[in-house]
Formats: sequence, structure tokens, C-alpha cells
Amino acid sequence: MTSYSNGGLFNPAYHDSETLEIDRRSSSKTPLHTNPYARGEGADGHYSTGQISSDDALRRVPRGGWQEESWRGRESLPMGHISTRPRSPSWQHDINHSTFQIPPDSQYDRSLSIRLPSTTSGNMTMRRRGISMRRMSMFPNGDPNHVAFTEDAIRNEMENEEQNLVKELVALSTRDRIWAIRDLPMSFDEKKHIRSQVLAFKSAKKSRQFTCFADCSENMSLSFRRCGYGIRSARQTLELWQGIMKEIGGTFGTSVLSYFMFLKWLLMFNIFSFLVNFGFITIPQLVYSPWPNISPNVSFRGLEILTGAGYFNNTVMYYGGYSNETKLHLVEYNMQLAYFFTIAVYMVLCGIALIFSMASSFKTNYVLADPASNMQLKESMSENAQRERLSLSESLKHFGVYLSAWLLSTSLAVGSGASIYYLCQFEQQRATDSANWSLLQEAETLLVPFVVSLMNLVVPLFYSLFNKFEHYSSQRKQIYALVVRNVLLKMSILAVLCYNWMNVVAVKFSCWESMVGQALYRLVIVDFLFLMLGSFFGEFLSNVIGTRLLPRLGVPEFDVARNVLELIYAQTLAWIGIYFSPLLPAIQILKFFILFYLKKVSLTQNCQPPRRSGRAAQMQTIFIALLFFPFFVGAVSMVAFTAWSLTPSEHCGPFRGLNSTYNVVEVWMVHLKETSSSHWVVWIYQNVIRSEIFYFLISLIIIVIIYIFWQVTRGRKLRIRVLRQQIVDEGKDKSFLLERLQNLQKSHPDKRSKQKNPKKHSKRRPDDHSSGGQSTSNAMVQAALIQAMQARQRAEGQERNEHYSAGYYESPTNTSSAVTQAMQARQRAQVEGTDNASDPTSSVSSVMMQVMQARQRAEKEDRPQWVPAPPQNPAPAGSSALIQAMLARQQAQNEYDDGY
Amino acid sequence: MGNKQTIFTAQQLDSYQDCTYFTRKEILRLFDRYRDLAPQLVPLDYTCQPDVKLPYELIGSMPELKDNPFRQRIAEVFSDDGEGNMTLDDFLDMFSVMSEMAPRDLKAYYAFKIYDFNNDDFLCKSDLEKTLNKLTRNELTEDEVRMVCEKVIDESDLDNDGRLSLEDFQTMIVRAPDFLSTFHIRI
Repeated sequence: MTSYSNGGLFNPAYHDSETLEIDRRSSSKTPLHTNPYARGEGADGHYSTGQISSDDALRRVPRGGWQEESWRGRESLPMGHISTRPRSPSWQHDINHSTFQIPPDSQYDRSLSIRLPSTTSGNMTMRRRGISMRRMSMFPNGDPNHVAFTEDAIRNEMENEEQNLVKELVALSTRDRIWAIRDLPMSFDEKKHIRSQVLAFKSAKKSRQFTCFADCSENMSLSFRRCGYGIRSARQTLELWQGIMKEIGGTFGTSVLSYFMFLKWLLMFNIFSFLVNFGFITIPQLVYSPWPNISPNVSFRGLEILTGAGYFNNTVMYYGGYSNETKLHLVEYNMQLAYFFTIAVYMVLCGIALIFSMASSFKTNYVLADPASNMQLKESMSENAQRERLSLSESLKHFGVYLSAWLLSTSLAVGSGASIYYLCQFEQQRATDSANWSLLQEAETLLVPFVVSLMNLVVPLFYSLFNKFEHYSSQRKQIYALVVRNVLLKMSILAVLCYNWMNVVAVKFSCWESMVGQALYRLVIVDFLFLMLGSFFGEFLSNVIGTRLLPRLGVPEFDVARNVLELIYAQTLAWIGIYFSPLLPAIQILKFFILFYLKKVSLTQNCQPPRRSGRAAQMQTIFIALLFFPFFVGAVSMVAFTAWSLTPSEHCGPFRGLNSTYNVVEVWMVHLKETSSSHWVVWIYQNVIRSEIFYFLISLIIIVIIYIFWQVTRGRKLRIRVLRQQIVDEGKDKSFLLERLQNLQKSHPDKRSKQKNPKKHSKRRPDDHSSGGQSTSNAMVQAALIQAMQARQRAEGQERNEHYSAGYYESPTNTSSAVTQAMQARQRAQVEGTDNASDPTSSVSSVMMQVMQARQRAEKEDRPQWVPAPPQNPAPAGSSALIQAMLARQQAQNEYDDGY
Repeated sequence: MGNKQTIFTAQQLDSYQDCTYFTRKEILRLFDRYRDLAPQLVPLDYTCQPDVKLPYELIGSMPELKDNPFRQRIAEVFSDDGEGNMTLDDFLDMFSVMSEMAPRDLKAYYAFKIYDFNNDDFLCKSDLEKTLNKLTRNELTEDEVRMVCEKVIDESDLDNDGRLSLEDFQTMIVRAPDFLSTFHIRI
């Protein structure tokens, strides 16, 4: 899951079944704990004594068989309900002696709070969650006073819930229903049960209509679905390397897998590019002239596979192999235009794909990830580690190491660039502009690619060596430093090569595009050989060293950063080469395909899973960004510069005789203007593509839109902050109200002994109604409702009690008034509840307001002057609901106490 | 393929496909994996729904799980008896939730259950500490663990009750881009 261990070490320390056992026991034994709102020492202390007394009471209470049973069956036994007392007067008596009573109605409020979300919200997910929360919570805390009646009630309740769910599911379309069932957070058996119910319901409904027709349609839909599943599984089978990917991901983790995903993604890019180039450029050329005009004295010698020169020189492999004519075979096909637009469209599509994948991955992995808090945590964590050792001299030393490492690595990059430059000059002096080279001459061309690849292989090793001496505070910084240095190196090498091609080769050779194409071909091929060597040296050798010679080093880990940079470099070569050698993607496909298996074998044979999981998602974003920013943009600007500014060679290639490649479009426009009827194309070209005003307007509009979006974003940010603050305030209000309730109960010192249980009761409540899994926004409404219900029930129970514990009641009128008050309070609260359901946003804020009012009022009336009856209170209905509920409850409590 | 057809009836396969994120082929493959754990226990014929449970020790020894510090919790959460002993249905259920097709909310729900060591429907401090210790393989000191837990609660506990409810957890998960790829077992 979130982490992967090294080498499959089995550490028994993680295997803490014993602690889990203990935990579970304790959690089921001490059910009434965790009151988060009772802050402060006093409350906690009190709570713990209450806890003990509750356990004592449980032990002391003489239980009948039914109590034992319900205690055992509490996991499956749902919520308690009202009338438990009538059946057990003796127990009631006992309870009063032991000063402990488990409030029966606390069960009721839980059931309420759980049911609320599903009834107030019609939408599917909420209901699902309502159910699931109940299933999940299913009363870890047992109360001994369950009876069969409550069991039934709850079973009914659950069945209702299930029926509702089934009805909702039946209403959906088949496809949606299957997804909805899959998404239910239930175990498989429950899902199967729901599914069978839905199917039964559906078939019952259908059989009422036409039995035959229903059967038929049922069969049809079943076979359609099976067919769909078949297609899905076939598609999975067709997906490239699916099984291998899973194997790698399963054993080596996400970060290593991201390399292979990246490789596959690049491979797809190349396949697309190959199809486009082959389809629009090569096939027409082959149709027109299937055999290349190779001069008779050039033969295939074998070395061409490495160098790409000689025999290949005049084939469709390179720019030079294409003609500039307009084919009139079956349809008119302008080779120049095809060549130009295919490359241009491919580049644009690549850019768009890159930008989109970069943006989406940036959105999910950076913007949502809230980096500020992570940074804070990290800083405070590393503070501890660094505090002892960072004196001034130490930090100076660190700074010196950083500086020298950066200087060294930058000068290495610049040095390799310079050496490549001189090497290229040397090579140009020796090379001649002739069609047939000797074998030696041909082999000499391999010198530059060899040196370039060697540098790409060796210099990064030095960089990793530097990295060992630097002490970066985090692994991330270390990786970033490594990546930046490698990018610098590769950029400088490529820049020198490009400069050489555009300024030296373009002047010297008659068919210079093909020469550049050859050079790129050689680079791609030699790079491939060195990649193989690299995985041999980088992984196999260090594995051998790690296992045989120096066990201290251990089995190597797969270096994702280095390998991904190699891929990026390889892909850049292909992008640059696409203009000069349209079939280079074919070579690239072959290369990546082999590389995938090679790396997979090397990984499974030589490497171990990374010890740290790292931030694979963010690293991947960085890789895509790197691929886009220096490399793709660099390649595009190189190709664009070639197309706009350089003169194409005069005797070969599709653009021979033109001033620049872009001239193709102008020539085409002139041609269109003269011949065809599609004047609008010409008009668009002249008035849109070539007019500055158009671009000016476009940029203006874009800037305005960006500004508007920026402002909207700022507004939303503000709003998010306000909403967050509101949530926090509501939480505070909730705890405040609950505290007040507790204080109220404490404020009768003479009745303290009798009020121990209500206190406990109120303490449990936050636990209860927040376990409903409801968002805090309507938690307040729920709380009000629940309290009102409790008050009512208490009053009712009280009434009944007084009947049963004969002779103790003195003032029945008081009791009934308490009941009516509580009823009123409850009705108001319910009105609010329904309001809330009908219009969530406004009523939430209104409830918020009311709660604030209530709080203010409570602060004003700090002294416990709560005796006046709430119905006479002229306060607005909404704000008084809560307080009335509290009052009703309080009053009922008083009367309960007075009753004895 | 011919003899594999007899492992499940068509109806069974339909219900498996409807209730999990797997295709027929994957279900059969998972069945093979399940059976490979104990070929002598698991019959080749599931049409009559035999009552077979594999003990946790076997489930936890799968290569996909054996390096996972939470493997015991995962098995407990997904098993019917809560002790990690799994029937085939539990097994399929587990890998269905862990598959890449499962939505974020479902994964978050089960992740919450996995981290909720004391089964009280909240991630309280002790849960977080346990989680953190498992994740870091006890590399952090007590102080650091406490600090991280406080920080996590401080940041994600929207209703200020000192512990994380499922909603808190889900909002937290939305901001963790790695969650979907890490709460994932490829099999």
C-alpha cells in the first residue's frame, strides 16, 4: 500500500496481533469513553470515575437472562429504544442504588442521527454512506438494557433502509446500477444480497406485464452484458504489457512503475508519430517510386545499420529520399505540402498532448496537495535532526561543498559541450561531400555519437558521486539537484550538436538535411547501445559487487531519475530528427520496445524495491514538465528555425529550389489564388495568418480572459477561507453548547448525586451524533433535534416511571407541562430540520446565525436563570429551538428529581 | 479455458462481475491465486459454494502483501470474521477495492477502516500513532510521532473534536495525490 519494504524482510514487529487484540477488547469493554468536548482536567477526572462506576454498576446489577443475551449479542443488536423500564422495575431500583443508569434514550438519539443523513438527503452517496456508517459503527458499546422489541424495531429500520436502497437502485439504468452496487462500501455478501434483491424486484415488476416479453428482454440484457464484459476483458488483454506492469507495480512499487509507465507513454507517442509519418509521407512516396534511386556503386555492407549512411542515404529513411513533385497517380498529391503539414501538425499535437498531461498532473499532484503544510511539518521535523550539528563553521563548510559541487558539475557540462564542439569540427574537416565513403570513413562517423553517449553515461556517475558528499536536508532536494545537473549536461551537448548542424553542416554538404538525419540516426542507435551497457554496468555490475564483493553496499535500487532522464534524452533526439528523418520514430519504437523488456529483466534480476516510497506522483509531474520544457520546446524551436530560416538543399528533398521550407505555403497560396475556387482559404491566409492585427487581438483577448480567471480564482480562495473558518466556528459552537449543557446540569449541587447519569449521558452525545457521519454543517440542527427528542422521551419515561414506582408522584401537572414543552421544542427543531433539508445552503447559514444568537444569549444570561417556561419566551422560533430543547430537558430532569 | 468454466456457474460469474471491478478473466485469475495459496484446501469446483476459509498466515504470505506493514489490518478489515481468515468472496472483495478501478471514496472508506485500529469509527491519536509507526517502521522517535500526529489532527480535524471522522479523512485524502496510486495492489 503506502510503503514497500526492502527485500521482503519480514519484520515481526509489525505483526502486532496482540496489541490489536488488546485494543479491541478494551474498546469494547469501555464503551462510554472519549468525550472530546469535555476539555480540561476536571471533566476528564470526573469522566474516569464515572467510567469506573459504570463498570461497577454493570457488575453489581443483577441481570436476568435477557440482559446477558443482549450483552453478548450487542454487536449485531441494534439500537435500543424507549420502553425498557416497564419490564424491569427491580433493575431500576438497583440502578438508583448504585447511582448508575444507562440512559435508554441515548440509543434513540443515535438511531436518529444516523437516519437523518439518509432521509434529509435524497442523493445516492449520502444514503450509502448513511448505511455504511451504521454498518461500520454497529454499536461497539453495548448496553445491557436491550430487549427483543428494540431488536425488532431496529431490524425493521434496517430493512427499510435496504428497501429504499433497492428502490433507488431499481430506478437506475442497468449500467449505472452495476456501478452503484460496486461502489457500495459493503462486503461482497451484502452486495450480492442487494443485487439479488434488485434483480428480484425488477423481475417481479416485469412479470406483472408480459412474462414472455420480460423473459426475452431479460435474456437479451444479460447476453448484452456478458458481451460487454467479454469486450472489456478482451480490451484488457490487448492493452500493452498489462500483466508485466502489474507484476512490476506489485513487487517494486509505484515509483519504479512510473518509469515503465513513462516508457510506455513515450512508446505510444512514437507509434502515433510513426503512423502519421508513414501514412502521409512515406506511403505516397513509395507508391510513386517504389525503388529508391541508389547509385549502382553503393552496396549494402552491414555497417549501415549502425551508421545509417551509405546504402540508406537515398532511401525514404531520410529527407533526401523524398521528391518535390505533385503526384498525379490516382489523386493529386502535393508532396511538399504533405511533408510540411504532417511534421507541423504532429509537432502541434505533441505539444498539446504534453501541455494537457502536464497541466492535469500538475493540478492533481501539486495544487491539491497543499504543499505549504507539508513543508512546515518537514521543517519542524528536520529542525530536531539538525539542531545539534549546525554551527557556523559547519554551515559554511556545507555551503562550500554545495558551491564547489555546483561549480564542478556546471563546468563538467560546459566542458563536455566544448569538447563535442571541437570533435565535430575535427570530423567536418575529415568528412567529404561524396556519395560513397570507404568503410573507414563510414566508421569514423561513429566517433561523435560514441563520445556523446559515453559522456551521457559517465558524467552522471560523477554527479551521483558529488551527491554523496553533499548533505542535503531532504532526499527530494538531492534528487532535484541531480536532475538539474543532468539536464544541464544533456542540454549543453544537444545545443552544441544543433549549432553544429545548422551552421556547419548546412553550409558544407549538398544534401545537408540527410546528413543531419544520419547523424541523428547514429545518435539514436549508439544511445540505445549505451543504454544497454548502462543497465549492464549500472545494475548488473553493482548487483554483483553488492552481493559478492562488498556486501556492505547491498543490492542496488532502481534509479528512476537517471533512467527517466535517459528516456527523455532519447525522445528529444527523435523529435529533433523527425524533420530530417521521417522514419526515425520506427527506430525509436523498436528501441523502446526492446528497452522495456531489457529494463524489466534487469530490474527483476538485479534490483531490490526502493526503501523509501518517495513522492512518485510529484516526480512524474516533474518528468513530464522536463520533457516539455527544455527538451520538447528545444526540439520544436530547432525544427522551426530550420523550416523558417535555413535554405533547403538544392538538389534533394521535397523542398529543393525554395528559399525556406515555409515558402511552400506561400507558393501553395499563390497557386490556389490562380486556379481554384476556394478563395476563402486564401483570404484566411492573407487576412488571418499573416496579419499582425489578428495576433494582437487574439493575445489581447487571451490576456483579458486570463485576468478574469485570475480574479475568479482569488475570489474563490477567499471564499474557501471563509467557509473553512465557518466550519471551525461551528465546531466551536457545538462544543460550547455542549459545555453549557453540562454546566447547567452541574449547577444543582444538592442533586448532584442523582445527576451523575445525565451528565454521563450528555457526555456521550457528541460521540453519538457525530458517529452519524454527517457533515458538521447540519450537525447543529441534528443536535437540537436530538436533544429535543431526548427531552421528550425523558419526560415520557419519567411519566411512566412515576406510574410504576407507585406512590412517589406528587405533581402530575408539572410532568405533563414538561412533556408539552418538550413536544413544542421538538416540533420547532424538526421544522428547522426540514427547512434545512429543503434548502441546504441558506438554512445552514441561518442555523449558523441562530446558533450564534443562542450563544450570545447564553453568555448574557450567564447566571442560571433558566426556570421560566420556554413557551412564554418571546424569542424568535429558530433561535429558541435549541435553548428550549435544553430547557425542556433540564426541566424534565428537575421534575424527575422532584419525583422522588 | 474449457475446464475453468466449471469452477463457477454463469450466474456466479455474473454476480462476481457485477459486484467487483473485475472481468471474468481476472476473477478466474484471482481464483487461481487464491487456490495456489492452499491447493489442498480449496476445491476446484465452486458451483456449490463450499465454505472454505484460508487462514491469515496464508493470505499474508502473498508477495503482494508480505511487504505491506498493514497486511494484517487489511486482512482483518476485509475478512468476514474480522480476524483475517478469508473466503474467496472476501479475497475478491479485498482486491476489488484495491484495484485501480475502485473510486477514491470507496478506497478512502476502507483506508479509514484499516487505520482505525480500535474500531471506534474515528481516527484518534492512538490510531494515528500506530499508523505512523507502521509506515515509518518505528524509525521516528516518540516526540516526532506525537508532533506529526498533532499536526495531522490540527490540519484535518475540521470539527475540532480532536480526532478524525470519515469526512475529515476523505477531505484529507483529496489533497493527497499519491493516495490513489499507493492504496492499490496490482495483482
